[in-house]
Amino acid sequence: MNTQHIAQDDLALYALQSLSPEEAETAAEHIEECEECRREVAGIRGDMALLALSVDQHPLPDGATERFMARVAASVAPAPVLAAPVAMAPVAATASQSNVVPFAAVAPKRRVWPILVPWFAVAAMIAVCISLGIENKKLSDTINAESAMVTRISANASKAQQVVDVLNAPSAQRVTLTLTKHAAEPSGHAVYLPDRGALLFQANNLQALGPGKTYELWVIPADGKAPVPAGVFKPNAEGYASVVLPQIAPGIPAKAFGVTIENEGGSLTPTMPIVLAGG
Amino acid sequence: MVPSDPEISNSGMDDQELLRRIRLGDQDAMRMIYKRYGGAVFSVGMRILKDAGQAEDIAQEIFFQLWRNSDAFVHGRGSLGAWLVVVARNRSIDALRRRKPSDSVEDVVLASNQNLASEAERDVMIEKVRSYMLSLPPEQQKSIELAFFQGLSHTEIAAKTGDPLGTVKTRIRLALLSLRKALEA
Repeated sequence: MNTQHIAQDDLALYALQSLSPEEAETAAEHIEECEECRREVAGIRGDMALLALSVDQHPLPDGATERFMARVAASVAPAPVLAAPVAMAPVAATASQSNVVPFAAVAPKRRVWPILVPWFAVAAMIAVCISLGIENKKLSDTINAESAMVTRISANASKAQQVVDVLNAPSAQRVTLTLTKHAAEPSGHAVYLPDRGALLFQANNLQALGPGKTYELWVIPADGKAPVPAGVFKPNAEGYASVVLPQIAPGIPAKAFGVTIENEGGSLTPTMPIVLAGG
Repeated sequence: MVPSDPEISNSGMDDQELLRRIRLGDQDAMRMIYKRYGGAVFSVGMRILKDAGQAEDIAQEIFFQLWRNSDAFVHGRGSLGAWLVVVARNRSIDALRRRKPSDSVEDVVLASNQNLASEAERDVMIEKVRSYMLSLPPEQQKSIELAFFQGLSHTEIAAKTGDPLGTVKTRIRLALLSLRKALEA
């Protein structure tokens, strides 16, 4: 051992891994055999821990614990078990194992073991293949289920983002629809982005409709063309109803909006009278 | 300090007991250790790498090694929390400098008397360290920043700051030494 202790300054650099590779190697050789220097390095690492703990603290990202635990769980998944015949090596049992008959005692005089070995091996291979096949199927099912879930979540997120965009767009038309003939309570409110064909509509205090009837929302184009259907809806028990992002071709500036009562399933042209209108 | 999960803080199970269970394959114990120290390890990675994805990878790798080989940390090598954050610092620097791990986790032996499993004690100690670091002369702060958080070698620091090599070495050691004394006082 090199009895020359490592300089204190260099021990700190060694702990910080700030020495050159050659210097670090020399230091490591000495430290491995020198209790005093080893103790000093351990002390410096204790100081490093204090520095490391003093950084700004961040919570783990969402799902990090689950991701880690999934990896832990995967690491302990049982390995495929070999078929029993493989374990049946022709090891003669000891005489003390009175309930175990030595292989030699039951073997016929004509030695069949060498003939059976290949069959046992084949059986073992088949068992392993079946086990792997089952495992493979399970993994495929899991992947398919998770892919479907991701697709659903993406679609929901996309629609939610569109809703937020429409509500926040400065260029959106905001129109309140009321009864055409009476200054009564039923009303509707539409938010419309013509360039995207994005429309949000909600109505309050609507009257319940008879069986086979439905309300239908219409966009009345500014260019005088025929009203564009914008979704059918029925109010709930409180008279509330909404239409969120119906399928409307983009690029139709609206002069007005209207609501009519139509037969179940809606209509391609509005049926008079228009019960709510605004624009 | 990010508040830790009350379930973990109040579990009353100390690190040694959790490690004993981990050796027996207890996944709940592993989850508790991850929740207890995961944030601290992740935060070290964030400070050095400034990337949440990389920091999470580093944290996951370190804890996974603990799961696969909990004997890598043995009692008497200091507290588990201190050990984990030092390993996290070293691994993060390796990643930052795009080099292979420069030591194995088994090689990291440290002496620490701090009870880092106690959140209250940890908070007090962290505040002490932070105020101490701010009280250091600027050139010592700079040296620690470059060596500890950026992983520069002493020659790189000397080249960067224009200071003599010996001065750089001494500054780093003195900064660490006086930190220890400040906490012992």
